[in-house]
Amino acid sequence: MESSRGIHAVGVRRAFGEVQALADVRLEARPGRVTALVGPNGSGKTTLLLVLAGLLVPDAGQVSVAGFDPVTEGPQARARTGWMPDVFGTWDSLTAREVLTTVAAAYRLPRDAGAARAAELLDLVHLTELADAPAHVLSRGQKQRLGLARALVHDPDVLLLDEPASGLDPRSRVDLRVLVRELAARGRTVLVSSHVLTELDEMADDAVFLSGGRTVATQSVTAAQEQRRRWRLAALDAAALRAWLAAAGVPAVAADDGAVHVDLAGDAAAAALLRDAVTAGVPVTSLAPAGGLLEQAYLALEEERR
Amino acid sequence: MRTVAQLELRQRLRSTRWKVALVVWFVVVGAITALAVGALGDVGDGLGLGSSIFGIVVFFVLFLGLIVAPTLSSAAVNGDRNAGTLATLQATLLTPAEIVVGKLLAAWAAALAFLVASVPFIVWAILAGGLNPLLLLATLAVLALELGVVCAIGLGFSALVTKTSGSGVLTYLVAGALSVGTLLVFGLTVPAITAEEQVRAWDVEQGYDWESDEPPVCEWQTVETTQVHTERTWWLLAANPFVVVADVQPVPPYDIDDPAATSADPLALIQTGVRAARTGPADEVDWCTGMHVSFDADGQASAPASPVETPELSTAPVWPWGLGLHLLLGLGAVAVAVRRLRIPAYSLPRGTRVA
Ligand SMILES: Nc1ncnc2c1ncn2[C@@H]1O[C@H](COP(=O)(O)OP(=O)(O)O)[C@@H](O)[C@H]1O
Ligand SMILES: [Mg+2]
Repeated sequence: MESSRGIHAVGVRRAFGEVQALADVRLEARPGRVTALVGPNGSGKTTLLLVLAGLLVPDAGQVSVAGFDPVTEGPQARARTGWMPDVFGTWDSLTAREVLTTVAAAYRLPRDAGAARAAELLDLVHLTELADAPAHVLSRGQKQRLGLARALVHDPDVLLLDEPASGLDPRSRVDLRVLVRELAARGRTVLVSSHVLTELDEMADDAVFLSGGRTVATQSVTAAQEQRRRWRLAALDAAALRAWLAAAGVPAVAADDGAVHVDLAGDAAAAALLRDAVTAGVPVTSLAPAGGLLEQAYLALEEERR
Repeated sequence: MRTVAQLELRQRLRSTRWKVALVVWFVVVGAITALAVGALGDVGDGLGLGSSIFGIVVFFVLFLGLIVAPTLSSAAVNGDRNAGTLATLQATLLTPAEIVVGKLLAAWAAALAFLVASVPFIVWAILAGGLNPLLLLATLAVLALELGVVCAIGLGFSALVTKTSGSGVLTYLVAGALSVGTLLVFGLTVPAITAEEQVRAWDVEQGYDWESDEPPVCEWQTVETTQVHTERTWWLLAANPFVVVADVQPVPPYDIDDPAATSADPLALIQTGVRAARTGPADEVDWCTGMHVSFDADGQASAPASPVETPELSTAPVWPWGLGLHLLLGLGAVAVAVRRLRIPAYSLPRGTRVA
């Protein structure tokens, strides 16, 4: 049953005493797709992931993860869920390999299978050379990669990643993106939270925006590509550029570095503008989206709310 | 369960703190044993030396164990929670009971390692002779159980309290309340159980002239005297872990010829005291026999037989009560910890971020 897999959450609420961490969350994450969970600090991303991972009881709402309710069918749901926490704790004196074999045993994998899986995952996250070093010598980024491997030990259907890219070097970010896309391609459901939007752009298919514990928007990233968004346009001769824009009647905002920002509806509009400018003899050096897709969608949302 | 225990033990075995603690332990117990042997050596005659050394070693192992065991378990849950490693375990398929019991087994195994580090000195006691091997095993088994109970209590507090220092202090408080508090309360209740009462006394005849050479005639009198009814409060002492461990041995026959041999053994002393407390005061006393000793022609002391029975120490063992209470406490602590580790969690301990 296709629709029962993935993550479904409706009307999820959760308070910590006075603080209403989740006020009304609606979230849909489908198998084979990467869903970004976007929101400012304190918007309830971590809390939502804890609920989905079966660690917190929601005060209200329906949740289903991989077809099971994490509250009433905890073990079944947890067996199919991989969770990577944001605060990364590790057993300091264990080696990376032992961390993984321990977690494999905790998921009731037979010993041999656990050892094989650990070796496979260490290779996947490029920690093979450090496999037998104690975990406390690992750098933050390396620990983060170990945390990702740990979430994958039991080959879960649903993957919950809480700020997975923080502390990662560019190389590891690319690896993470490739890995996440690959998991999605294999039919897994991936939910990635972050407040760094650019890192989600090339990774996510859908985005869910949280603010103050509420789902404020749900968007497909491919759709965002077709949406009106801001582009940055620069030329050798800034005065000529501005003059041409004014003559052509394109509303533009001067950016701080001599370039201008223009709002364009999709890639086709951008191509047309570039062609016109070049034809008119404006020495254009670059035309590119200003900031990421999600970032713009997000900022637009913030503006609407004001 | 094995997974968790193995994980915990691995963590512990690789920390240097733990090795240092074992070495310090070995040195301290060794020094105490050597001192004891030195002191007893002066008393001389190997009689009872073995059981005395054993008693002293066991007494100090329990004493030091009550100090060490809380540190082994009182950070097991909240320490992991603060380090962010607890939730990763909870999110797996491990049940809360498996996590708790695994942690308890690991802490207990570590505590037993300290017991094992004391074995050379126990062997020393065995070599000194006069020990009943069965008794030795029984005493060590109860000692091990007591250490396990302290570990369980520490674990329970570590699941209840957010700060590791808080759970440590609470565990020490309980250990202190059991081993010192019970004594204090027992002492404080003495006035409440003290009464002026009439007892039948086998006493020297009234109007006896103490200057005379004639032996007094003993007769029954009813006299008013102060009686301390410890048989009403002995159970306070039973809750004391030292009493539990000391009381496992069968009461040794009182050896009038060699009181020193038994009195050097702190366990025997404690046991005698507790059993006497449980027996309580007798309602017939002998104040006459031995008041006047006459010697017959052969120089043999002769005294008339006393009609008052010499008070017998209670043979009813005290330790099962204490051990039972302690095991209940330990089980309760484990149950509390399991409850607190259940997921998904409704409420989080104050000030913690992750479940
Ligand atoms: N255990 C907790 N106790 C009290 N308040 C909490 C707890 N966990 C989260 N909160 C509060 O809930 C809100 C959402 O937090 P969180 O889910 O961590 O946000 P995010 O991960 O999006 O930054 C914040 O205001 C935070 O202070
Ligand atoms: Mg967070």
